[in-house]
Amino acid sequence: MGQQEVGNQPRALKDRGRHASLISSTAALLALVLVLALGGTAAAHGANISYTSTVGVALAAAYDSGEPMAEAQVMIYAPNDLSTPWQTGTTDENGHYFFTPDPELPGTWDVQVRQAGHGQIIHIPLGEGAMPTSGGGGFSTMQIILMSACVIWGLAGTALYFSGRKS
Amino acid sequence: MHIPDGILPVAVDVAGYATAGALTWFSLRKIQQQENPQEGVPKAALLTAAFFVASWIHIPFPPTSVHLILNGLLGVVLGYYAMPAILVGLFFQAVMFQHGGLTTLGVNATMMGLPALLAYGIFQSRYRLGLAQSDTWTAVFGFAGGAVGVGLAAAIAFTILILTLPGNIDAEAERASITALTVAHVPLMVLEGVFTALLVTFLLRVKPEVLNRPGDVPVKV
Repeated sequence: MGQQEVGNQPRALKDRGRHASLISSTAALLALVLVLALGGTAAAHGANISYTSTVGVALAAAYDSGEPMAEAQVMIYAPNDLSTPWQTGTTDENGHYFFTPDPELPGTWDVQVRQAGHGQIIHIPLGEGAMPTSGGGGFSTMQIILMSACVIWGLAGTALYFSGRKS
Repeated sequence: MHIPDGILPVAVDVAGYATAGALTWFSLRKIQQQENPQEGVPKAALLTAAFFVASWIHIPFPPTSVHLILNGLLGVVLGYYAMPAILVGLFFQAVMFQHGGLTTLGVNATMMGLPALLAYGIFQSRYRLGLAQSDTWTAVFGFAGGAVGVGLAAAIAFTILILTLPGNIDAEAERASITALTVAHVPLMVLEGVFTALLVTFLLRVKPEVLNRPGDVPVKV
């Protein structure tokens, strides 16, 4: 007896589900009929999609410690006016920011990202029919180590030179 | 606390070069007056190297992170040599790593050099107070010099940045992040103070002639 009940239960559930979907599809149909009946003017069935392809710029701002510049201020200057920002905004928590420059304004776009007095300005050349590019400042770790080593060597050499002269 | 290019108005950059030039001239004159001006050069060169790499050592103080500055330490150990040392170190940092910038070199050199000279004044005042022979007091004055160097540099940076906020940014958000960064320098003050105290204690035991320069006229503070 109990087994039968358990066995029946899924079927009951399935039935209920079927009922529910039947009800909802009926309702949808009813709504469609209502719309067609009431909204006599909504008769456009064709669609027309036009497109213009432009270049978008995706920025990624990070401190040289690797930490992203989250919620830093972004100022974008168009080539025709370098004193007032063309657009301002804020990076997301990963230091990312996306903007679509006006294709009517080819030239070098200046982008400044700043936070707490830290920041940088980069120059992004965007011309007619610009191809997707990427760029940015920053050195690899090896370059930094080598540069530091050169400077330290120079300073240590200075120290040795002067201490040698003394004695 | 290196202010990069493009953050400050040109007038501030120029004023920074003027003050940095005056401080460097003053320091070089003081060095020239010493008995053997070249004596301090090896020490200054080595500490310039330390200062140069210190800005790569990041210390996280959530929500932000700061890097070592060591200007107070340079002031305490080098005296007047600290100013040219900081200027040279900042120049290399700006050219090589874009830590700071060439237009703001004067501003940054003043921001770090002036507190370094003050730290030297604090450290040397132990002679006037007759405490120079004591290990403990040397450490205490070293701590004060190291901490004041960083603290004053952060305070100068804060003032300059707040007073020159451009009109076209969200001033409220920028002010909040500048304040957060400045507050994060309080634990750095303690850290560099302790570091300076350890270094002067070590030097006093191992090579006391590096520190004992009672003949130098301390900066009048």
